[in-house]
Amino acid sequence: MDQRGVGMSSDFSLFERHLDALYRSALRLTRKPEDAEDLVQETYLRAYRYRNRFKPGTNEKAWLFTIMTNVFRNRLRKRPAPEDSIDQPGTDFDIYDQMRRDGMPVHLMSPEEIIVDRGFGDEVKHALEELPVPMRMVVVLVDVEDFSYKEVASILGIKIGTVMSRLHRGRQALQKKLWEYSGRPKAPSLAVGAR
Amino acid sequence: MGDHCEQTMRRLNTYIDRELSETEVRKVKAHLDDCPPCEQVFDFQAEMKRLVRKECCTDDAPARLRDWVRQLGAEKPKPAG
Repeated sequence: MDQRGVGMSSDFSLFERHLDALYRSALRLTRKPEDAEDLVQETYLRAYRYRNRFKPGTNEKAWLFTIMTNVFRNRLRKRPAPEDSIDQPGTDFDIYDQMRRDGMPVHLMSPEEIIVDRGFGDEVKHALEELPVPMRMVVVLVDVEDFSYKEVASILGIKIGTVMSRLHRGRQALQKKLWEYSGRPKAPSLAVGAR
Repeated sequence: MGDHCEQTMRRLNTYIDRELSETEVRKVKAHLDDCPPCEQVFDFQAEMKRLVRKECCTDDAPARLRDWVRQLGAEKPKPAG
């Protein structure tokens, strides 16, 4: 079988077209523009170096994200971010349920109204960047980059069940942070583990 | 909350992410059509997913990074960093 991969320079445009996706995800992972840029450069250098290993016709976006998440995890191992190991949200939380329990007329509000009303939109990036790395990676890959569970499992080298549980916990943690940012007085159950 | 509600809520993530089989999708859809409270939860969670994507898609790569990648593709990269 022919596995020459992306040998000619013109084919590198296949990789180039995912630059914005890689960059915005790198930004969520590293939280800093200069680190994101550096991570993306390293990703493309490796993609270039190993371009012959890429099998044409397979998913080049998934291939690039596999490289990037690996580089990122290797860097973290050398320079662990201390705050990532602590915050492990384990409590069930979702905004809709919380508002309902607070007696708000959620059934009379559209989702857009709830989101605009509480200003959740402005804080999404910030909230996402505060999630522990394993959850953050899964939420970014599924919700922002639109990868399937199977693709995410392959990119990160984890089981599909792990993808699903990290996604579930990640989304709950994200909503909890958005809820906290929106300045709502915290319900007693939320005070546990709050900073 | 009835059995159908619980089953639907358990499948909500996978339904929103389009990861369910056709048979399961039909079951969830049928319940959501019948049950406004569950449908509202679904609408909200689906909107949250759209919100995350929308908010995070605003950062485009800087022009100098794009130029650098193009040069790499043209096999004459400048030194990285």
